[in-house]
Amino acid sequence: MKINVVKNVLEANDSAAAENRIRMTNAGLLAVNIISAPGSGKTTLLEKTIPALDGMKSAVIVGDLQTSRDAERLGDKAVEVTQVNTEGGCHLSASQVARALDGLDIAGLSFMFIENVGNMVCPSGFDLGEHVRVAMLSTTEGDDKVAKYNTLFQPADVILLNKVDLVDVLDYDKSRVYNDLARINTRAEVIELSAKTGQGMEQWIDWLKKALAGEKKLAKKG
Amino acid sequence: MHEMSIVVELLDQLEAVAAENGVLRVEAFTVQAGVLRGVVPEALEIAFESASGGTVAEGAELTLEILPALARCRQCGLEFEPGTDSYLCPGCNQADVDIVSGNEILLASVTGQQKNKESGSHED
Repeated sequence: MKINVVKNVLEANDSAAAENRIRMTNAGLLAVNIISAPGSGKTTLLEKTIPALDGMKSAVIVGDLQTSRDAERLGDKAVEVTQVNTEGGCHLSASQVARALDGLDIAGLSFMFIENVGNMVCPSGFDLGEHVRVAMLSTTEGDDKVAKYNTLFQPADVILLNKVDLVDVLDYDKSRVYNDLARINTRAEVIELSAKTGQGMEQWIDWLKKALAGEKKLAKKG
Repeated sequence: MHEMSIVVELLDQLEAVAAENGVLRVEAFTVQAGVLRGVVPEALEIAFESASGGTVAEGAELTLEILPALARCRQCGLEFEPGTDSYLCPGCNQADVDIVSGNEILLASVTGQQKNKESGSHED
C-alpha cells in the first residue's frame, strides 16, 4: 500500500532551532551564526572581535570536524568557549547547539557567537536558532565565490570580506563581489575588513552593537 | 555531505510512519527536496544505502523529486521564481527576498507491506 504523508524531514532540527532562538532571545543576547569556507579567518575574527566589544560579555560555540584547536585559541581570550566536535559532520545542527547552551551560563551575555564548521555549502541549510547570520569570504579564496555559493550569501544579514589587506597582492577584483551581490543580496551590509590589521573592524563592531540593540527592541515587542 | 544528516532524519521519519501505519517493511518512498537545498541525488542514495541497514527501510527504493524555488520580494511583495544564481526581483530590481519555498525537504509518500494483510489479496 502507498501512504501519502508529506512530513518535514528537518522537523527535529527546525523545532530545536526555534527553541534555541526563544532561549537566547529571553536571555537578551544576540546569537550570531558565522559561516565561511575553512581558512577564511573566522577564529581570528572572533579573537579580535570579543575584546573590542568593550565590557559586553560574549560566549562562543565552535563547530569543528575533529580538533579543538579553534576552541583553544579562543580560550586564551578569557571567554567561555564550547567545542562541538561534529566527528566528520559538515555543519552544526540545532540540537548540538542546544546541548552546548545547556552547559553555558547564558544569563548576562550580550553575544553568543556560533562559529560553524568551515564549509560554504552545508551549514547554510541548517537553522541553529541564531538571530543573525554572517557570511564571510576572504580575498585568498578568489573573487567568484558569491555567485558560486549563493545559498550562503542570499540569506546573510551581513557579509564580511576579510583579508582586504591582501587585495593588491592577490590582484583581487572586489567589483566582482559587489556585482554578484547586486543580484543575490542587496539587503545585507558589506563590510570590508582585515581581522589581522584591524582595518574595518570598527564598522563590524558597530554593526554588531546595532544588531544587538535591534534584537532587544524586537524582543520587547514580543 | 549534508545528505547524511538528511538521511538520519529521514530514517527516523520512515520508522515513525511505518509504526503508525503498521508497515513491516518499506519498499519504496519519495523525497521532495527544494532546489535550493542542493541535494545531490547520488550522494543521497549512497548515504541512504549506508545508513539504512537493519532499519525498516533497508533496501527500499528511493525516489527524489526536486521542487522549484519561490521567492518573495521584501521591497515590493512580488513572488517570483529565482534563477540559478540570481534573486533579482523582476518588479523592482532589488535582491532582497524571503524564500517562500525551495528549502524544504519532505517525505512525500511511503509504499510498504502492511501487517495483518494476506499476501496478494489487497495489495496495490
